[in-house]
Amino acid sequence: MTNDLAALHSYLAVAAVLVGIGLVGFLSRRNMIVMFLSAETMLQGVSLSLVAWGRFHGDLGGQILVLFIIALAAAEAAIALALVVTLFARRGSLDIAAWQDLRESDQPPFEEEDLPPEPSDEPAAWPHLAPAGIEPASIDEKEHYRPKV
Amino acid sequence: MIEPRIILALATGLGAVGLGLVLPGGSGRRRAAGALFALAALVAWASLLPGVGPWLANGLFALLAAVTIVAAGAMISCRSPMYSAIWFGMTLLGTAGLFLLVGAEFLAVATLVVYAGAILVTFLFVLMLSEPEGRTSYDRRSWAAMLSATTGAVLIGVLSLTLATGLAGPAGPRASGGGLPRDGLPSAPPTEPADAVGGLLAPSPPAAHRPPPEGPYAVAQLGTELFTRYVIPVEAVATLLLAALVGAAVIIGPRRTPQAP
Repeated sequence: MTNDLAALHSYLAVAAVLVGIGLVGFLSRRNMIVMFLSAETMLQGVSLSLVAWGRFHGDLGGQILVLFIIALAAAEAAIALALVVTLFARRGSLDIAAWQDLRESDQPPFEEEDLPPEPSDEPAAWPHLAPAGIEPASIDEKEHYRPKV
Repeated sequence: MIEPRIILALATGLGAVGLGLVLPGGSGRRRAAGALFALAALVAWASLLPGVGPWLANGLFALLAAVTIVAAGAMISCRSPMYSAIWFGMTLLGTAGLFLLVGAEFLAVATLVVYAGAILVTFLFVLMLSEPEGRTSYDRRSWAAMLSATTGAVLIGVLSLTLATGLAGPAGPRASGGGLPRDGLPSAPPTEPADAVGGLLAPSPPAAHRPPPEGPYAVAQLGTELFTRYVIPVEAVATLLLAALVGAAVIIGPRRTPQAP
């Protein structure tokens, strides 16, 4: 019995961490798709806890509830992605801040801060390559060549 | 559970093949594959020893949990939404492994097929249709990063605290029925008889701690339960899926211009 309880504990702990990470992602990311992925992560955490509880109680109800969660997630993803595509077609951006005029009337508008400098693909200094295919200036200076060992 | 004899036979065969490949004479790749085989054989053989099996299961749980959590963390911290989606797939794999470990085989497969196979691919399609680069300004910044991270951390902390104080309390004789120790729940009357421990949280016969279904009958039992006791919710979910399909088609379909009368 204590063994079962310990297993339930560890599964619930993992589920809690998943829900927390999903919450952080949903709150902080601005890309709509990443926000939905975070919401799905929270659903995964809840599913895990349901299955662990069902196992602990020896009841199949937890697994069946998770089956319904999966079906609901599929429906949610279909609707949400249709909405995302429509929103993207209207504003040309997946940024959720593009829709900030839908906020409450007494909330201050979101203002863009300064961006950190863009990391560019080009290196700061290109390596210097000697031009190839040019005939050496003087061929006669054989004495400067390194002697063969 | 597979029979120990079969595991032993598999381990012996794998070990022989692995050792044969590892011996000098083959290419590096062959020897690496042989080393993998031999390692798998060793693990399978060790799982038969008394006392090692649970330890291995714990190690497997730790591995899967670490994969799941690290992938989730990487998902929300990746700049490119494409990488985020791939990391989410990794999270799904970890969760499916945990389902498998806890004895929910059907759910593990359903998670892989429905989530990773359908939902994630749809996400990737939409990403491809929009901005897969991760160079946009909004992908490179977060809303109030410290504040939201603190919120999540506090949530995890409170949940863990609830776990520690609500579940790990002295189990005592009240938990002998196999139900939930109610020590952490304030609503539990103190003079509750031991048999009613299951209470609200265990709707099926109270405090009857049946052994969870194992083996090939688990899926059959799940299906029986699904289509007898839960048949009305199944129909409701089917209707909901149809409605979602129609709704998505209507939302994204061509705009109909109102016709002049």
